[in-house]
Amino acid sequence: MSYKVLVVDDEAPVRSLFDDLLKKEKYIVKTADSGEEALEAIGKEDFDVVLMDIKLGGISGLEALKKIKDIKPATTVIMITGFGYDEDLINKSKELGCSGYIGKNMPISQIMSNFKLFTKHLK
Amino acid sequence: MGVRFPSPAPINMEFDTQQIRDSFHEAIDNSNAFILYLNSMGNIIACNKKIESLTGKKKDQVLGRYWLSVLYNNHGEQNLIKQHMFKAVMDDSIKYKRPNSFEGALVDSQEHEHLVSWDLTPVTEEPKGLMGMLLVGNDVTQLKDREESFKKIDNTLKNIFSNIKEYALYVTNLDGNITYYGMGSEIMFGWQKNEIVFKHISILHTLEDAASALQFIISQVNAKGEHETEIDLVKKDGQHFPVELTVSRFIDPDGKPAGYIFIAKDITERRKLEYQVFQAEKMAAIGQLAAGMAHEINNPLFVISGRMEMMLEGKRLAKKIKDNLNIMNAQTERIRKLVDRLLKFSRKTIPRLENLNINEVIEGVLPLLSYHKLPASSVEIDRVLAPNLSPVRGDLNQLQEVFINILVNAYQAMPQGGKIAIETRNSQDGFAEITIADTGHGISEDVLKNIFMPFFSTKKEGTGLGLSICYNIIKVHNGSIDIESKVNEGTTFIIKLPFA
Repeated sequence: MSYKVLVVDDEAPVRSLFDDLLKKEKYIVKTADSGEEALEAIGKEDFDVVLMDIKLGGISGLEALKKIKDIKPATTVIMITGFGYDEDLINKSKELGCSGYIGKNMPISQIMSNFKLFTKHLK
Repeated sequence: MGVRFPSPAPINMEFDTQQIRDSFHEAIDNSNAFILYLNSMGNIIACNKKIESLTGKKKDQVLGRYWLSVLYNNHGEQNLIKQHMFKAVMDDSIKYKRPNSFEGALVDSQEHEHLVSWDLTPVTEEPKGLMGMLLVGNDVTQLKDREESFKKIDNTLKNIFSNIKEYALYVTNLDGNITYYGMGSEIMFGWQKNEIVFKHISILHTLEDAASALQFIISQVNAKGEHETEIDLVKKDGQHFPVELTVSRFIDPDGKPAGYIFIAKDITERRKLEYQVFQAEKMAAIGQLAAGMAHEINNPLFVISGRMEMMLEGKRLAKKIKDNLNIMNAQTERIRKLVDRLLKFSRKTIPRLENLNINEVIEGVLPLLSYHKLPASSVEIDRVLAPNLSPVRGDLNQLQEVFINILVNAYQAMPQGGKIAIETRNSQDGFAEITIADTGHGISEDVLKNIFMPFFSTKKEGTGLGLSICYNIIKVHNGSIDIESKVNEGTTFIIKLPFA
């Protein structure tokens, strides 16, 4: 079974990279360029996984995470962090119910293995 | 009818001698001085009212009485010696018919002590000889008190001056030869007074300053009366140190310029603090810049390396393209690691503080050294760890990183082998102090100035971030990190962390 992933990042090249990577692994991928757009999409359809940058323009990644967990608590949310990840942000997002995080400073192979690890329960 | 004016009183040009005598007597009576007239036997035959303030009796009651018993009626016993001395002076005046003076304390009827300065004047009448003795006494208690307090102030000032270490006061004549070398000068310069007095002031200045700056200062003082500047002076041992120097003209009592007064304040500590603040600000600014840059590089780098990895996974890739991609991949990997370090340097990760015994942290770090690429040389590690070392609040991982960094540096400084001495102690001012000293090639002064700057490295493979990260870690622990080094002798790191 292939599940649906929503990629949320405000940079198009990053979105398209995740899009390609995940489609290669046979996931169904949709993208959103802001927290607002992501919430709109989630309101319309169910996603198994939301892969979302912790730093977004507009509403922050943390706010979006909180709202997603309010509307669709069953959604698995994975946060994307930059190089200099902020431990405070990570701790807060864990409290808000994110399943894990992947860093842009990781090699692609590790990103994908982390992604699979955090979505293991969906199988 | 005309108005009759009263006729003017007749002008009496003669003095009314009786009236003058009366007012003179009244003035004497009310005088603030003790005035006594004794007969040749020493009995009081006349006195003014002032005596009443001493005896508490009407002046008539003392008339005819022996002078000494009247003056020393109160607490006579205690004043016996003074009485004898006074009597001896009186006897001298009587015997040789000459005036004398005497100063002594008297106690009044209210038990207050008064210091009285007496003038004794024999009254003689030829040919009868000595007729009597005039005693005039002035109460000088207040004067004396004032003198005492002046002396006290003088002594206090002398004490203050001799205890001042940051200031030196010295004076030269107009030619610049030292004529006074006081207050803190010996402590500041190391020269003793007898070694330096009459020497020229240029002995306290650097060679360059003695030629120009000193001339300039003096010309300014001559023009404006005073000049203030910051300048380096020289101690006896040749060491230079910064001072705030105030020079003013010294005028003699006739109003002629007689020399120059120098007041030097040692500002070594202030300079040190200024430098530290400057250094900290610089580091903070660089940190901000680094973090900003790293964040900007973040996304494009991620996309580039991600795309390259994807391309490399392609099955039917021409070997030449694959080789090129691998090179590009390795190089982006280098950038990735560098950006990672950069962010580590700039990150404001709040340390996870726990009570740590630094001795244990050090013991724990030593085995970790084997994971690092160290020169294959024989290095001996000496540990002198204070058994009663007070715990500090610290982040174990971060502090481990600091010690590993310094120890790896020490190893690398001794490719021919050597010794690393690690010492811990409790400092007086509430810090656990850790010194790590190697016997390596040392660091030149130029390099030392920039040692904690990010990207500053003298090593072929260094990123120049190791020590700047150490610096930041120690700073977030509210501690300090210092380095001392001598070329070909070795380098010592001194780290201070506040007690928990």
